[in-house]
Amino acid sequence: MDVILNQMFAGLSMASILLMIALGLAIIYGAMGVINLAHGEFVMLGAYAAWALQTYAGFSIIVALPFVFVAVGAVGWIIERVIVQRLYHRPLDTILATWGIGIILQQVVRLSVGAESRFVKGPELLSGNIEIGGLVMSNYRIFVIVFSLAVLAASWALMTRTEFGMKLRAVIQNRQISECYGIEAKHIYSVTFAYGAGLAGIAGALITPLFSTIPTMGTGLVVDAFLVVIVGGLGSLLGAASAAVLIGEATALFSMLFNDTLGRIAVLAGIIVLIRFRPRGLFPSNTRR
Amino acid sequence: MTTRLFYDLVALVIFALVIVLGVPALMGFDGFELNTFARYLALGIASLALALSWGGAGLLNLGQAATFGMGSYAMAMHLKLKASGDGLPDFMGWNNVPELPLIWVPFHSLGFTLLAGLLVPAFVGGLIAMFMFRARIAGVFVAIITLAFLVAFQLVVIEEQGITGGQNGLTGLAPLNVLGWSVDTYGVGFYYLVAGCLVTAITIGLYLTHSKFGLILRAIREDADRTRFLGYNVANYQTVIFCISAALAGWAGMLYTLVLEFASPTYMSVSFSLAIVIWCAVGGRDSVLAAAIGAILVNLLEGRLSDIFVEGWNLMLGVIFVFVVMFMPRGLNGLVGDAWRFIGGRLQKERTISTRPHLQPEPVKSGQEN
Repeated sequence: MDVILNQMFAGLSMASILLMIALGLAIIYGAMGVINLAHGEFVMLGAYAAWALQTYAGFSIIVALPFVFVAVGAVGWIIERVIVQRLYHRPLDTILATWGIGIILQQVVRLSVGAESRFVKGPELLSGNIEIGGLVMSNYRIFVIVFSLAVLAASWALMTRTEFGMKLRAVIQNRQISECYGIEAKHIYSVTFAYGAGLAGIAGALITPLFSTIPTMGTGLVVDAFLVVIVGGLGSLLGAASAAVLIGEATALFSMLFNDTLGRIAVLAGIIVLIRFRPRGLFPSNTRR
Repeated sequence: MTTRLFYDLVALVIFALVIVLGVPALMGFDGFELNTFARYLALGIASLALALSWGGAGLLNLGQAATFGMGSYAMAMHLKLKASGDGLPDFMGWNNVPELPLIWVPFHSLGFTLLAGLLVPAFVGGLIAMFMFRARIAGVFVAIITLAFLVAFQLVVIEEQGITGGQNGLTGLAPLNVLGWSVDTYGVGFYYLVAGCLVTAITIGLYLTHSKFGLILRAIREDADRTRFLGYNVANYQTVIFCISAALAGWAGMLYTLVLEFASPTYMSVSFSLAIVIWCAVGGRDSVLAAAIGAILVNLLEGRLSDIFVEGWNLMLGVIFVFVVMFMPRGLNGLVGDAWRFIGGRLQKERTISTRPHLQPEPVKSGQEN
């Protein structure tokens, strides 16, 4: 019983990380149909930003979060302005261009910081575990879970409760008509892309104590995050959240039944089958395209 | 014979002459240089295989490396068995595998190996294609499903250490022995073998693109629904081209193992798979010949530049790639085509003006909008 509970907690912890990464991707993909393969590199940039802030300025991860968000968001904004903006009418080519951007970002970090693994300390405040019977939960992982829920709520509020969100939803539904009403779609897209990139940066900063920080860390994450977005359904925040929990828990469950690798393989196979039968995801939003 | 076919054939003949006569002479028949170039040629086949499905039918297959890997492992299994003689391959001993796994047994035969290297990828590609295209999956979702398949497949290969050699792959291979000819990978003969394979593969590709089959695929690429309304079974056409593309990738994989003398799970990594996409895009996804040339050029550049800029090469590759995607969506092929039309248009214009002064010349468009 304890084994199952611990495994469920591990799955939840993984789900929260997946959710943080996938949320930015879901917003970018849902809003503009851009398959952003550089998203993993935004996560990597966030991790390195957190490392730099801790090493050179002595900031703890939690203090560094707003700075990381702004920095990575700015990188995303520039990339959208210079490259992605020109490719909105060619969605397949965005896969290629963003992969190229990913290579560039990865190499820039490798050349400037070095290829060796970097270590970031978790916050002192959140060290230690909570134990309930046989269930051992690390405080930091609990914090990540709570934080990811907060980010989900904030994103939801941004999309549905603010003027910016209203404009964004209008542009998603019909770009031409929205422009007729005086909404600057280009501007909305840039900000949305920057916001998605910033979220990836936060995710990167938060996972630094859990993962090793290396220039190639993003490549593996982006595939997983993508699967979360596709399974969740186009542009649906709630869909992305439930898909993250589903995939996180399924991976944990299969890992317990077989082993880590076979667990991952089983989940990938399940996802392929799911996309085949529900290509619009579990919770498709009703947008006209 | 249409003009387009004429140009393609001329280009193919020139290309064949260059790689068969020009390159060996330029390299001074140096074994090491020719081996390196043979590697580029083998990758050219992988790139042209992708051009058939991506450029020809609009199916972006991000899992091309999986079928490439199947071919390379098929060849490596045969050569490993040859190297081990009557005993078990060495890595099986390390993994406590008591006897030769059943799947390895038929690879004693070279004929079976060659067939398996083509048919296993084709079969697997066909299964995935049927699975996807029967459900009318298209566009981005094809890319995502094939990518997920690639990741899963690589994990399986690494996981099954006892059968595949795991992370280390298959090393310590014997030289290939065809009908008594022991292939020396640093010899001129081996270079001609690979060059011959590439020219054959390009010929097959050109035949397919210029056939009615290729025409229907292009129709499907432009508008699958309309083609369906015209009475064609879209899924079948897509499945067939996926199979052919997979078989060609397997062929490339077999040659690649011969050149490098080992097979490794890195052949099935996401980054290798996307590298194939890069070569194909740089050369020009619309033409099999251009895609092959793209692979050769990018790898040639990589070979030369990565010596000079050890660290910076990948950065340059990324920049080149982003540039190509943004400004040259049809790759070098499109660039050459535009230049050709521009020159042709000039000549045409002069002729029109001189012979029919009463007619206004048509404004010449340089290049299509994309």
